[in-house]
Amino acid sequence: MSVNGEILFEIDNLCKAFGDMLVLDHISTQIRKGEVVVIVGPSGSGKSTFLRSLNLLEEPTDGTISFEGMNITDPSVNINTYRQKIGMVFQHFNLFPHKTILENMTLAPIKLLKLSKAEAEAEAMELLKRVGLEEKAHAYPAQLSGGQKQRIAIVRSLCMHPDVILFDEPTSALDPEMVGEVLSVMSDLARDGMTMVIVTHEMNFAREVGTRVMFVDEGQIKEENTPKEFFDAPKNPRLQEFLSKIL
Amino acid sequence: MLSGGLQNVCGSFLVDFKDSLYQNFIEDDRYMYLVSGLGTTLVITLFAVLIGIVLGFLVAIVRSTYDKTGKLKVLSKICGCYLTIIRGTPAVVQLLIMYYIVFVNFDSKITVAIIAFGINSGAYVAEIVRSGIMSIDKGQMEAGRSLGFGYAQTMWYIIIPQAFKNVLPALANEFIVLLKETSICGYIGLMDLTRGGDIIRSRTYEAFLPLFAVALIYLLLVMILTKLVSILERRLRTSER
Repeated sequence: MSVNGEILFEIDNLCKAFGDMLVLDHISTQIRKGEVVVIVGPSGSGKSTFLRSLNLLEEPTDGTISFEGMNITDPSVNINTYRQKIGMVFQHFNLFPHKTILENMTLAPIKLLKLSKAEAEAEAMELLKRVGLEEKAHAYPAQLSGGQKQRIAIVRSLCMHPDVILFDEPTSALDPEMVGEVLSVMSDLARDGMTMVIVTHEMNFAREVGTRVMFVDEGQIKEENTPKEFFDAPKNPRLQEFLSKIL
Repeated sequence: MLSGGLQNVCGSFLVDFKDSLYQNFIEDDRYMYLVSGLGTTLVITLFAVLIGIVLGFLVAIVRSTYDKTGKLKVLSKICGCYLTIIRGTPAVVQLLIMYYIVFVNFDSKITVAIIAFGINSGAYVAEIVRSGIMSIDKGQMEAGRSLGFGYAQTMWYIIIPQAFKNVLPALANEFIVLLKETSICGYIGLMDLTRGGDIIRSRTYEAFLPLFAVALIYLLLVMILTKLVSILERRLRTSER
């Protein structure tokens, strides 16, 4: 898989402060098309805040983020149009409980992409088939297991044809036996060439599916490397300590 | 002899009751006071509820937007004043102020009453709806925004429908209170259900039947309303099965 694709995200000196606390401390990096970037780090390191900054769910206090060449941190930019191209999957799924699975998936395509209901539903059904949940199309989120909900959340984001999907600890709220089904959907996506940025604690997944692993600690990227180098020959002492604790 | 006496007493009571019914409701078509009064009560309640819902939702959205994002500060302060004033003064006084001061040159009493009760109800609806909006997990807003919906669109498609469902019982309660509160509109000379019953009382010099009839009609209305809301609640709850 090529990691020399065009640059999707260009992050330059990104800072985020909550009051006096600097959560992101001058982060600069790039994310290219086709990459699967896995972000790991201790809790409170700022890794989730970094991910959520990429679609401006957290507004940076300083620095810039360019997405597909457009500086989306510029206040005059209409962020909504760019968010359509940046999918997001949350730890707690955040499906819409008052809507059926099919409605969860077709709401945004119908209202924002102006698809007809029939078009949107046909496409949604196709995606549901891919994750083996087509019989749940008319169920409500409350009737699904955690793993099923997260698979729906993933295909809901796919309905908008995003150029990249951000995953914020997608398996952390799941019972252990359901983690596998979600990771396998994510692996399939990676194989199909989807650009993904993933905050996770699943180190095996990071090693096998990631094209680059990033260690975030104290609001900075302390180390980033290919999975092999990252796990087999970590250089940063904090990363060595972190890996020794979790592996 | 004894049982005959009892029969006489019962008989004369029944005759009296029939006379009384006739006098209070049939003679001179007095039941029409109740019928047209009921019409007035229903019209005022219905339109006041509509105004209350629209006003209440707008105020609730403004105030919860300010609470969550810090935007709309001035508008939110204005809404805050509105709530303080309306909830801090009696509805009768508000109605009298509307009739004798604000709309002094306006001749449709019923319109004045609708506006006064609508504005009054809006304040209560606003706080009910705001509590509903604030009760929705912030992940819902984030999910909507991350799909590309704007703040207002996310509110409309995702937050409000869920909030509405959560606060429906409280809203129903507010409208039941409103229905009964309209009984004060006799103060501006409107003939509503309560006033209709009172007029009969003043004609027949009999309090019992007209006032109980009025009470019974209110009771029936509230029971019907309660039933309708429970049907609506059940239908909205399908997503939780």
